[in-house]
Amino acid sequence: MKYTKRMRKYIFKYKGRLFFGFLFGTLFSACDILIPFIIGNIIDIFEDTLSLSSTQGIELGIQNIITHILYIAALVILLILFNYLFGIIISLTGERICKDIKNDLFEKINSMPIKSIDSKQRGDLVSRIINDVDYVNTAINGAFKQFYSGLITIIFTIVFTFILNWMLALIVLILTPISFLVSYYVAKGCFKSFKEQSAIQGNIGAKILEDLNNIELIKSTNYEKESIKKFESINANLFVVGKKAQFYSSLTNPSTRIINNIIYAILCIVGVVLCALAYYKENNMILGATCTIGIITSFLQYANKFAKPFNEMSSCFGEIEQGLSSFKRINDILNEEDDIDIGTTKITTKVRNLTFDKVNFSYEQNKPLIQDFSFNINKGDHIALVGPTGCGKTTMINLIMRYYDPNNGSIELNGVDTQIIKKSSLRSKIGLVLQDTWIFKGTVFENIKYSKPNATKEEVIEASKNANAYSFISKLPNGFDTIISDDSGLSNGQKQLINIARVMLKNPEIMILDEATSNIDTRSERKIIKAFNELTRNKTSFIIAHRLSTIVNSDNIIVMKDGHIIEVGKHEELLAKKGFYYELFNAQFDN
Amino acid sequence: MDKAFYSTKKYIPYLIIGPLFKVIEVIFELFTPFLMKYIVDVGYSYAFEYNDYSKIIYPGLIMIAFAIFGFCSTLVCQKLASIASQGSGTELRNKIYKKIINLSSVDIDHFGKGNLVNILTNDVNRIQSVVAMLIRLVIRAPILVVGSVICAFLIDVYAGIIFVSIVPIVMFIYFLILKISGKQYKKVQMQNDKIVEKTNDDINGIRAIKSFNNEEKEIIEYENLTKSFYKESKKAILTNELINPLTIFIVNVAILGVIYLSTFTFKNSSISYDKGDVVALISYLNSILLALIALCNLILVFTKGFSSNARINEFLNYKEVIEDNGKIVKESINEGENLIKFNDVSLSFNNENNVLNHIDFEINKGEIIGLIGGTGSGKSLLIKVLERFYEFNEGEVLYKGINIKNYDIKALREDIGFVSQKAQFLKGTIKSNMLIGKSDATDKEIIEALKLAKAYDFVKEYEDTINHEVLEGGKNFSGGQKQRLSIARGILSAKELLILDDSTSALDYLTDKEVRKNLKKKKITTIIISQRCSSIMDATRIYILEHGEVVGVGTHKQLLKKNEVYQEIYASQTRSK
Repeated sequence: MKYTKRMRKYIFKYKGRLFFGFLFGTLFSACDILIPFIIGNIIDIFEDTLSLSSTQGIELGIQNIITHILYIAALVILLILFNYLFGIIISLTGERICKDIKNDLFEKINSMPIKSIDSKQRGDLVSRIINDVDYVNTAINGAFKQFYSGLITIIFTIVFTFILNWMLALIVLILTPISFLVSYYVAKGCFKSFKEQSAIQGNIGAKILEDLNNIELIKSTNYEKESIKKFESINANLFVVGKKAQFYSSLTNPSTRIINNIIYAILCIVGVVLCALAYYKENNMILGATCTIGIITSFLQYANKFAKPFNEMSSCFGEIEQGLSSFKRINDILNEEDDIDIGTTKITTKVRNLTFDKVNFSYEQNKPLIQDFSFNINKGDHIALVGPTGCGKTTMINLIMRYYDPNNGSIELNGVDTQIIKKSSLRSKIGLVLQDTWIFKGTVFENIKYSKPNATKEEVIEASKNANAYSFISKLPNGFDTIISDDSGLSNGQKQLINIARVMLKNPEIMILDEATSNIDTRSERKIIKAFNELTRNKTSFIIAHRLSTIVNSDNIIVMKDGHIIEVGKHEELLAKKGFYYELFNAQFDN
Repeated sequence: MDKAFYSTKKYIPYLIIGPLFKVIEVIFELFTPFLMKYIVDVGYSYAFEYNDYSKIIYPGLIMIAFAIFGFCSTLVCQKLASIASQGSGTELRNKIYKKIINLSSVDIDHFGKGNLVNILTNDVNRIQSVVAMLIRLVIRAPILVVGSVICAFLIDVYAGIIFVSIVPIVMFIYFLILKISGKQYKKVQMQNDKIVEKTNDDINGIRAIKSFNNEEKEIIEYENLTKSFYKESKKAILTNELINPLTIFIVNVAILGVIYLSTFTFKNSSISYDKGDVVALISYLNSILLALIALCNLILVFTKGFSSNARINEFLNYKEVIEDNGKIVKESINEGENLIKFNDVSLSFNNENNVLNHIDFEINKGEIIGLIGGTGSGKSLLIKVLERFYEFNEGEVLYKGINIKNYDIKALREDIGFVSQKAQFLKGTIKSNMLIGKSDATDKEIIEALKLAKAYDFVKEYEDTINHEVLEGGKNFSGGQKQRLSIARGILSAKELLILDDSTSALDYLTDKEVRKNLKKKKITTIIISQRCSSIMDATRIYILEHGEVVGVGTHKQLLKKNEVYQEIYASQTRSK
């Protein structure tokens, strides 16, 4: 969907509210435009009354003025009401629209295929949901509030001033755009130098973070002096650019002030001259335009009103531009294809076997990875997958779990191609313990029962005991109710144990372990392996590990290298072959 | 001492001259309504009575001249302000950075990395804003307000009273609303933090979420979060949007008040207005309002600035853990001579339990020492004490026979090539990262080191070989590749000693074996820290650490025969049926 169409979709959902919002905005401007006119009237009445001598006339004059004061009072009450309503309706609608966008983005991320998420930078995705939506919100406020009210004000002001006195109106009309042009160019210069400035500021943030993340390297190699030198040069850059940016941004108000002041002065001169010329004319009119001091006063206020919206509108151009580019980025994500699950079959029976049939797979076309892989796993088998880094082991998991699908060949569960099995059904049969642990912000209890939402507390405790996580959890400040998160100070080993407890709770028929225990120290590892042996006893398991100790007990070992299976067999058989496995194994015992 | 504002010391002249120029502009501005009043009263009557338009035109031209001079004056002030604020910001940043880089690990842990980044970036930026505002607005707004009030009094006392009373009213309302919405915004911020957290968690754990079929659950939870965020935002908006209408209301009330006052002119009281008075008063009212709003915003900037100032000062005044730095440097020692000796060394953090307990440890030149133990056993800490990232509390450490506290730290670190557990890289090229280890390394030396570390196998496959790009954190390399590059750099920078802190964990046994073979051939004194027996089996001597204590010393054979702990570890890694 083109971004313009999507924008319309989001906005039109609230067209009712927006209509009323704009209505109130218009009514506000309408009331607002009348006030200077009435004040001008009052000044004329005031002047006329001054020249009167009869008390009656003076009384009348005062009454007249007071009536006008009451008109203004009424208008003021109306207009602040309209102003408030206008403001809240637009702001709230902006928030609603952004809520919709956030929800849609989140939903999209959860329904996108893993392939698409992997191809993006995580930080960038988060930035789109958080920062870009923020910019869209600012832009909506800028466009619908500032721009609209500015536009309406200008239109009303032009119309009204022309009705009052077309000569003065012409002066204002011709001169004020100069103010606009000036503020536009200042804003443009601002925008450019701000962009430069924030780029360099970004560099500074990135540099210090990088240095802190690598502080051991810097200190152990006495690299501090170099680092400081590099920093000072970035900083010097920032000084130059920052000065420019700050100077430009500080120009906005003064530059509009001087134009306004000049316009003011010109209006004053021309206006009063006209008034003097009109003094003796009928109705104080010259060429069809009324020229009284009152009108001048009104005009001075209108001149003020006229200039302000130009400023507001030009300042929100930057915001609107930013908002549009942010929306385009959001649209790119929303346009991503969903991960369509064409599978409809559910597996209701127990798992009997899992078969790879001539599977071919690669992430990139010209870099083949898994080539012609065929293998059968029967129920209850414990299979180990061994090989050097990058040989294709994690990829195997991606394929079994259908995070990615093979380019050729198939994987079958109980003889059924996994591509026609409903993904949720397939995944419910498999327990996965990944090398990267995932802990989300929540209690220990919530984290563990993530695999089985209606688990009881007893079940969770039992699972954590089986995973040997119970002892450390009960030592936490709030036990199972302690709130944890990814960087909450749990060691890698502890996070892994919670992960394992999660899978224990799920109790799936197929277990896949990806180097699950290599982060945990050797002593605890043995306890966990014991627990796994218990749990995997009547299950089918697929272990991918570096440590030969964990796979020596398996029923069958698959040795991989460069995406190919090069050896298959039990431990003793493979040793006897004196092939690659033999070499790997003996590297431990080299004397 | 306020070290943060001390950085503006250089710019104090700017802080004085800048505002002066602003004052000039304000004075011109305050005069303008008087000129208007003159034109409207005197100029007008002269014009229609005597046909003398000069009293309109000349004052008018003076108004224009004032505007232009005022503008030029302001320009000078803005220029000075930008130089002073950015300049002090730059000084401050350099100061802070220098201090951060020289902090010890303990200090960095104390502050937290995120905090340090914020101090260097956000907090300094706020200070810059404050300095700029100080120069540009602190003078303008108050003088404009006070000046307008005085001018009002000059025109008419009662008008002056009205002016004086609206100032506190506007400010009070403004502050009240800001305070309420400030509190509310904290709640909004909290909700937003939850949303950010959940977004992060979701994207990071997408595989786990799918494996547990929990996509729907996450979406529903998220929708609840955005709903709560909307609710809190709504409250904030309803409060905040009051500011505009209320200020409009007050100004208009004041205008009506002035107009009402003007009617007393007819009642033969002490009040006597000309129409020019009304025009002028309305003009002053408008400028007071703008100035008041600016003043209130200023105070906001200052509050943020003060809290940043406090944070920066806390940082700059922080007494870092001082590394005792000696001056002694000893050149090479001979093969077999003692290089490092730990005598009964203990270390604890914050007076808690000892994390290193009475450690005795030594290594002689030419030896290969193995250090083995589980996570948390203290093996990395021992090395960090050696590298003087942490200071020990008890005992003595000798380097080349000299008390390490008397030995020049830079020379010590120069001698040691340290390969940390997590491979560290700076954005650049392979070559630039190697040069960090040895700044004068030739390409030949670099390639030799890469070969020893079994890294040249993959480096030579790149078109630009050693000039190949290294991205932030080395993320364009696999775990195993990073470790090998790291080892190569360590080899380059090891003059006396090479320390490998569990730096082969991502290498398979074969590669690990070959690297160790190469190191042995080159006769580099090495400390190998590992969890794998296979990595340290050939060591001259092995130390076993557990819970910060040495629980075994000896060769592989000796330990296997007599040491229970070692036997267990060995068995668990090589268990056969």
